[in-house]
Order: sequence, then structure tokens, then C-alpha cells
Amino acid sequence: MKARLIVNPNLCTGCRTCELACSFTHMVGGKPGLSRIYPLDGGFKDLYVPVVCLQCEDPACAKSCLVDAITRNPETGAMVLDEQKCVRCMACVAACPFGCSLFDRINNLVVKCDLCDGDPACAHFCPTKALEYKPIEEHILKSTG
Amino acid sequence: MVNITINGKLVQAYEGEMLLAAIRRENIDIPALCHHEAVEPYGACRLCMVEITKNEWDGWKNHVTSCLYPVEEGLIVNTHTPTVIELRKTILDLFLASSPHSTVIKKLAAEYGITRTSYEEVPDSTDCILCGLCTRICDKMGFSAISAVGRGHGKEIAPPLKEPPPDCVGCLSCAYICPTHYIQFTDNGKERTIWGKKFKLLRCEKTGLPTITEEFAAYLIKHREIPEDYFKINDLSHRRELALKMGQITQWGREA
Ligand code: SF4
Ligand code: SF4
Ligand code: SF4
Ligand code: FES
Repeated sequence: MKARLIVNPNLCTGCRTCELACSFTHMVGGKPGLSRIYPLDGGFKDLYVPVVCLQCEDPACAKSCLVDAITRNPETGAMVLDEQKCVRCMACVAACPFGCSLFDRINNLVVKCDLCDGDPACAHFCPTKALEYKPIEEHILKSTG
Repeated sequence: MVNITINGKLVQAYEGEMLLAAIRRENIDIPALCHHEAVEPYGACRLCMVEITKNEWDGWKNHVTSCLYPVEEGLIVNTHTPTVIELRKTILDLFLASSPHSTVIKKLAAEYGITRTSYEEVPDSTDCILCGLCTRICDKMGFSAISAVGRGHGKEIAPPLKEPPPDCVGCLSCAYICPTHYIQFTDNGKERTIWGKKFKLLRCEKTGLPTITEEFAAYLIKHREIPEDYFKINDLSHRRELALKMGQITQWGREA
């Protein structure tokens, strides 16, 4: 059984706790890093959508990376970016159709959601359970990709 | 897993990896100027030199470039013996003669106690240490826009015929990877120049903010099958659009 990060915008209040949790989980040299998740305006009153990497089946980020710095972690299913391999060409940042490969200007790093190695901090801290990390039956994964 | 000893500590290394990777995992600081994870090891700078031996070698020791030496069961590695430090000092002394103005070289040499080269400084020196990282990354990415030209003293990195390289897409990877920051470029948010070639930057249709060069995007569309549409807006606008789309679907659910 694998797990998925489930986003339910109905429950999101736009409190940005997930952003904080993400930053503090991805520290760079003792300082909070760039958040990989953003609760954004959903276009209707009191509607917020936490935008985060969808860990695509056919990921544009990995396809655009000419040095193979982005690969799938077989355990978690997350597309993981290897900072040591990345040469900051920004191809993936430009190519992701959801804008979820990000450039951290302060630390000169290209970053993306790695599902915290299978224990996503955002889901842990989301007070309303708009973000949940839930096991999913293999057959559902197969039919939805 | 392979068992090796680094500076007296028994550690486990992965089959097939190079010594340098195992050394770095132990947070031991050794200089490795011509090394980068994105390209194959090359062994040009010699700074990552370490001492190796084995119990069964009867006291025989060898000095090898750790970036190029695969781990082996029972290997005993020492990264800071007096001989290793002496070797590194000699190399830095030479680099200081060929690139006397490089802040990276000066700093590294100073860490090893050298503030002035004992050799004669090379006239018309540059900060390029000919480590080949720029040409290797450009080859790896599939562009091969630049290469080492000339031999011996006159050797330098340059585009063919020293003219703006036709195959360069302005991705700046070479400038990023250069350990001495020798490769210069300019970027004013509209136009980028590297190796004497000018590039126009793509701009987000919504925010007007620049992304990558038109040439680089064209390459990714053609050779990596990234849909052209993806490059019309930048990452921020993509996130905003996704939020609006998902917002709409959620709203339908609420109304139903
Ligand atoms: S970064 Fe973008 S392209 Fe890559 S897996 Fe995530 S959503 Fe997909
Ligand atoms: S920015 Fe880094 S991870 Fe992204 S495509 Fe370039 S090398 Fe790959
Ligand atoms: S900027 Fe040009 S020369 Fe440098 S790595 Fe990219 S394509 Fe090659
Ligand atoms: S890093 Fe090993 S020789 Fe340069």
C-alpha cells in the first residue's frame, strides 16, 4: 500500500501553517528554506487552494532536466531533486506546468516537494486536515495513475 | 556495502561509488575543484588526493585522486597525512602561479598556509584552471558549444573559432559550475549574454517576468517533448492558474 498527499481545498482556511512547516523542515544552513507549498486564492470567497507538486506520472521537471537531477523515489513516489547534481539551469522551473519546481533565490537552490521522505510536514501540521497523507490501495493507484 | 576505514573510522560505502563520495559523507573537508555530481569524474585538479593502503599491503601506501578511485573492501584511507598535505600544497602553489588573482584559489591556498606562490606568476594569467567542468557539463547537456582549444601554455576554454558559439543556448550551466567563477555573463532581465552571444529571455505573458532563453525553451520543446504552452507563463502564474482551476472545481462541488 502506498500513500498520497491528498489536498482538500474545501477545508483550507489559508492559514499558511503548511508553508511554515515546509520551510522549517527544509532548513538550509540552520535557516528556514523556501516553502514548496502555497495556499493560494481559489477565485471564490473564502476559498483557498494549497498548491503543491503533484508528483506527476509523466513529470515535465524530470523530462526537462538534462543532467538527470530529478528522479522518482520508488518508496514514496516523490520526484526528488538532487541538489548536488543540479546546475541551476532553471529548465525544470520553466517547464513544470504547475509551477512547483521553484528557485530559492536566497540560497541559490532549485527546490521542489519531496514528500519529506514519506512523512510530509505540511500534512502533519495542517490544523483543518485540508492536507492529509493517506495510504491508498494499489488498485486505485493503478486506475488513476 | 563495502567496509572501508577513513581517518581511523570504520565506515560503510556503496558498491561502485568513488572514495570522494564516502569521504564527503563523513563531512571531511578535502578540496575537489574539478568534481561535480552532474558529470563523470575527470581527475584534472589532483587536489582530492588521499593516501590509501590495506592491511595486507605490508605497509605499502599509494596516493590516489579520490574522485576517480572506486571504494574497495578493506581500504584504509587517510585524507590529511603530512605527505597528502604537502602534495596539496604543491598543487595549490602551482595554481597560485597560474591563477594568482582568483579569489577562490587564493582562499584555498591560504587555508593550506600559502599566501604567495613560490613559482613565477604566469604572465596574462586568467582565473581559469582548465578543470574542464564547463565543457563537460555543456557536453553532458547535449550542446557541446564550447571546448578546450590550443595546447600547453596557450590552452584555454573557448567557443569554436572564438566566435559566439552557434550551439550555445545560454543556459548558464557552465558559469554556474565553474569553480573559480571565471565564466562571465550578463543578464538584465530582458537579454542575456554569455560567450559573446546574445539571447532574448522568454517572458511570462501574465507578469512579464523573465524565465529561460528562447533558445533553451526551443531545445526543450524539440528534444524533450515539453509542450510549447508550458513556457508561456512563469512558475508563479502557473501556481495561480492551478489554484483557480482547482478552486472552480471545488466551488462546483459546493454548489451541487
Ligand atoms: S514539479 Fe511539476 S512537473 Fe514535476 S512532478 Fe511536480 S508537478 Fe509534476
Ligand atoms: S535547474 Fe537543476 S534540477 Fe532543474 S533542470 Fe536544471 S539542472 Fe535539472
Ligand atoms: S551557456 Fe552555452 S556554453 Fe554554457 S553550458 Fe549552456 S549551452 Fe553550453
Ligand atoms: S576533484 Fe579529484 S582530481 Fe579534481
